[in-house]
Amino acid sequence: MKHTILSLFSSPKLTISLLIIIAVASIVGTIIPQQYDGGESLRHLSPGLIEAFKSLQLFDMYHSAWFIILMCLLSLNLIACSLNRFPTSWRLFKKTPSPDRSKPFDDLPPERTLTIGRRLDQAIRRVEDLLRRRYKRVRRKDTPKTTFFYGEKGAYSHFGVYIIHASILIVIAGAVIGSLLGFEAFVNIPEGESANVVSLTRQKGSKELDFTVRCDAFSIAYYDNGMPKEYRSHLSFLKDNEIVYQGPLLVNHPITFHGIRFYQASYGTIPGGQAYLSIQQGDGRKTTIPVKLRDSFYLKEHDARVTIERIEDNLMSMGPAVLLSIQSAQGNMSLWIFKEIERITEGIPWLLERVPKFNPGLFQPYYFKLDKIENKYYTGLQLSRDPGVSIVAIGALFIVVGFFITFFSSHKRVWVRLDEQQGGTRIMVSATSNRDPVGLKRETEHLLKHLKEAEVAV
Amino acid sequence: MTINATILSWVTFVYFGSSIFYLFRTVTGREFWGPLASLVAFVGLIAQTFALILRWVESYKLGIGHAPLSNLYESLIFFAWATVLLYLIIEWRIKSRSLGAFVIPFAFLAMAYASFSPHVNSRIQPLIPALQSNWLISHVLTCFFGYAAFTIACGLGLMYLLKGLGEAGGSRPFLRLLPGREILDELSYHSIVIGFIFLTLGIITGSVWAYSAWGSYWSWDPKETWSLITWLIYAAMLHSRFVRGWRGKRMAIMSIIGFGSVLFTYFGVNYLPGLHSYF
Repeated sequence: MKHTILSLFSSPKLTISLLIIIAVASIVGTIIPQQYDGGESLRHLSPGLIEAFKSLQLFDMYHSAWFIILMCLLSLNLIACSLNRFPTSWRLFKKTPSPDRSKPFDDLPPERTLTIGRRLDQAIRRVEDLLRRRYKRVRRKDTPKTTFFYGEKGAYSHFGVYIIHASILIVIAGAVIGSLLGFEAFVNIPEGESANVVSLTRQKGSKELDFTVRCDAFSIAYYDNGMPKEYRSHLSFLKDNEIVYQGPLLVNHPITFHGIRFYQASYGTIPGGQAYLSIQQGDGRKTTIPVKLRDSFYLKEHDARVTIERIEDNLMSMGPAVLLSIQSAQGNMSLWIFKEIERITEGIPWLLERVPKFNPGLFQPYYFKLDKIENKYYTGLQLSRDPGVSIVAIGALFIVVGFFITFFSSHKRVWVRLDEQQGGTRIMVSATSNRDPVGLKRETEHLLKHLKEAEVAV
Repeated sequence: MTINATILSWVTFVYFGSSIFYLFRTVTGREFWGPLASLVAFVGLIAQTFALILRWVESYKLGIGHAPLSNLYESLIFFAWATVLLYLIIEWRIKSRSLGAFVIPFAFLAMAYASFSPHVNSRIQPLIPALQSNWLISHVLTCFFGYAAFTIACGLGLMYLLKGLGEAGGSRPFLRLLPGREILDELSYHSIVIGFIFLTLGIITGSVWAYSAWGSYWSWDPKETWSLITWLIYAAMLHSRFVRGWRGKRMAIMSIIGFGSVLFTYFGVNYLPGLHSYF
């Protein structure tokens, strides 16, 4: 039973089919929008088809059950193939064939045979010298009129493919560990504000951090031609209200804090930064002051204290507005000051009578006017914790090592037979290799050339 | 147009000339055109190398110094450069000029697209924040050497099929100079191996970069996914050769399919939404 399962999964046809099926599935995943939210892109498809896509998990295809099953099958196939073939490779690695085999010299092409005008013992020395320099595990066997040599190198090349396959499994294992034990999340933090709850990207829902991140400032720098040059968030990491780490976060320069990596992912603007408020006094004097949320200032008359309660970009579709809370001897009052009050009252002439708290001149003798509000930035941070990364990295490194062994080395074996002949020695060279026939041919020719040169040197 | 872009647009014509000479050689079956074609390609490569260095220096003079590998224009130029360089090395190693007619036209087309398409901007642009990384050079270098090697494998595949057609329809004079099928098969295997290694290195360097820029070493962005698809196609090819013993015509067809996937990874992906919008 065990044997059947192994042979079922170790079929190379299965490998090739799986590689092609995964490739085709991946193509589908790049055509169908992933994380589809019912937007424009697929409106032209019938609802039934979209339902079908949903039930096949095509909108999160790379994490769908069937894609994971495909990856599992590929992993099983890799393991089965390796188990199936490893014993053969091990034998090829360990086995040293005897030098005096005759089979290598059957059907030897004539150019692999050479007769030199030297005595056998001289020729043997020459050949042994040459082989020992170029090969490992050189063996020799002498018979009265014939001497055999065997040499080999690159036996380790049989293992390259196992290194690659094992490394791919390590990468897959690292990815699985990362997706099980890690998380990805994002959080938008306005300038000056803090956050310790972040939204999870994949699992949905949110996660509470055991520390707080504060965005002290966000800035963008531009090149002369208007292209963005730098996005920079100044972040403070706080624990128990104490700053533990402070530093700038830039694209390509993540910050790691408590095992979580923070990335500068996006930014945006929100209202509530700064507002410019004009105050006209009874005598017609006008002053403009910049105010921020929760700023306070004093007005001399009535000994009033004014606090900025809210800054709104667009209040009730009537444009920018700020909410003032005025505390004085006359009591407390709240006032909404609109930037476009003239335009609003043109449209709704009765507004100020009905809603006195929209009246900019309600707190006499003062008259307030909102000149403008400035938006402030929020920084979009991406967070991730991935304990599988180092495993994936090691796997990737060994894939490259395995490639070099597999593609650039080969197990070369050479047999040399020397026969004593009248007035000289006949040398026959036979060589085999598990790969790289061109390199083998070049090397054999090189060997023969060296042996010939020895003859000329006499 | 700046000087480097002017030189590069001239290099386009030089590669066009070289392509024509290589084609003459193949069609007429006369070796006479061969050395001329090689010489012209070599001159083009030297001029292009000079222009690339000039462009690099110029970017520093503009105060936005970076390697000329940062947008579609620069990547096309580098793709052509790598293809011609790799081709000339192979020509020198195998002492045969037959492949030129099937490879240099690709370099010419890339250069022509870069230099004359209204959609490709040849100005030196500063690097946006996401591209300001030490991984830019190694990532682009490895990917495009991979693409160049796959281009050569595709050229070899085309040549193999053409030779097969020629032999089926009686020996024609213009195929006389093409090398033997076994040599073609072996060469195409070597190009695919080189391309596969470079593509793997490209994916790895890209993942390392993505890990420091986007927060994840792999996010199934269409370009990432397509590079994986290309990788899987060539992996399937190598396995069918190693394990199933596929050779010759099947490999030739697969190297053309693989190249189609490379082209889609390079250009087609721009029509899909994703993060890799710079190239």
